[in-house]
Amino acid sequence: MSEEELKSAIERGVEAATATVQRPGRLLAAVPNAAAVTALILLKARGFEHLSAISCTDWIEEEQFELVYHLWSYQDRIHVMLKTRLPRANPWTVTAAPLFPHAQTYEREIHEMYGVHFDGNPRLTPFLLDHWRGPPPMRRDFNTRDHVRERFGIEERIP
Amino acid sequence: MDREDILKMLKSPANWGQKYSLWAVYFCTGCGVIEIPPVITSRWDAERFGVLPMATPRQGNLFLITGYVSLKTLGAIIRTYDQMPDPKYVVGFGSCPVNGGMYWDSYNTIKHLDKYLPVDGWIAGCMPRPEAIFVAVVHLWQMIDKGMATGYERYRENREYYETNQREVLPHLPKFASPEGSG
Repeated sequence: MSEEELKSAIERGVEAATATVQRPGRLLAAVPNAAAVTALILLKARGFEHLSAISCTDWIEEEQFELVYHLWSYQDRIHVMLKTRLPRANPWTVTAAPLFPHAQTYEREIHEMYGVHFDGNPRLTPFLLDHWRGPPPMRRDFNTRDHVRERFGIEERIP
Repeated sequence: MDREDILKMLKSPANWGQKYSLWAVYFCTGCGVIEIPPVITSRWDAERFGVLPMATPRQGNLFLITGYVSLKTLGAIIRTYDQMPDPKYVVGFGSCPVNGGMYWDSYNTIKHLDKYLPVDGWIAGCMPRPEAIFVAVVHLWQMIDKGMATGYERYRENREYYETNQREVLPHLPKFASPEGSG
């Protein structure tokens, strides 16, 4: 399957989806949050069996989180970046774990670092942080310097 | 051995014995531990300096903190340090244990190791060369000779200070579980 065929398949199969071919072998798809799992099913059925990562970006100016699912097809050698945006106020989406079992770990990390809730993920427990108290640390409104000063008691060295 | 060394040795045989039997605890934290395999093996051969790695903390007396210390690691470091027999020496390796290094505003990395453990010496740099470990070892010999490497005594004397700091960042450590507070 070529990039162009895949682009039209996504735009046809997923509601309100837009896809662009960035360069040969790389496809960028943006879908609404409610359709993210539909798009994942569509892609997995077309041979995108490798979910390399789920990443999260905090677009604080737009009051949104952006999740990016990186998918790879060994057969077609295409990298799809499936982007979806969530409201920042109450970030909530549906888990991809039934499709890609290892997505559970990525979601667990995003839940810990950004506070995004993945509905249906059986294991949204503390992961990397140790007895963390306070807001999720990777959010951009989390002031690490203040946190460090309060938690570890250091003098500020950069004026 | 020089003749002068014999007199020195007779002055304090214990110091003389301790300084040539440094057993470094096999404890890896951060990226600095990448320098340890060449140090202990044939390339630089730490055994020339009487330093050998030891797998268990109960038989080791040199504790190299080789890199940034996250909160989770600090818990393990404190547990390991408490298990080591006296006399024990702690050397902070790299800039991260000194002041946080490049993690100076990281939310999960401690900044000053000497707030939580008594440190006998520092090796600055990112990364220090393996030779720096030998410079530190030779320096540690001199300190042991002069009776200056007394971190373990400071730990006993200032237990209150260290445990307050430890408890502040790691209140859930097993050693703080009992109502008396010490483990």
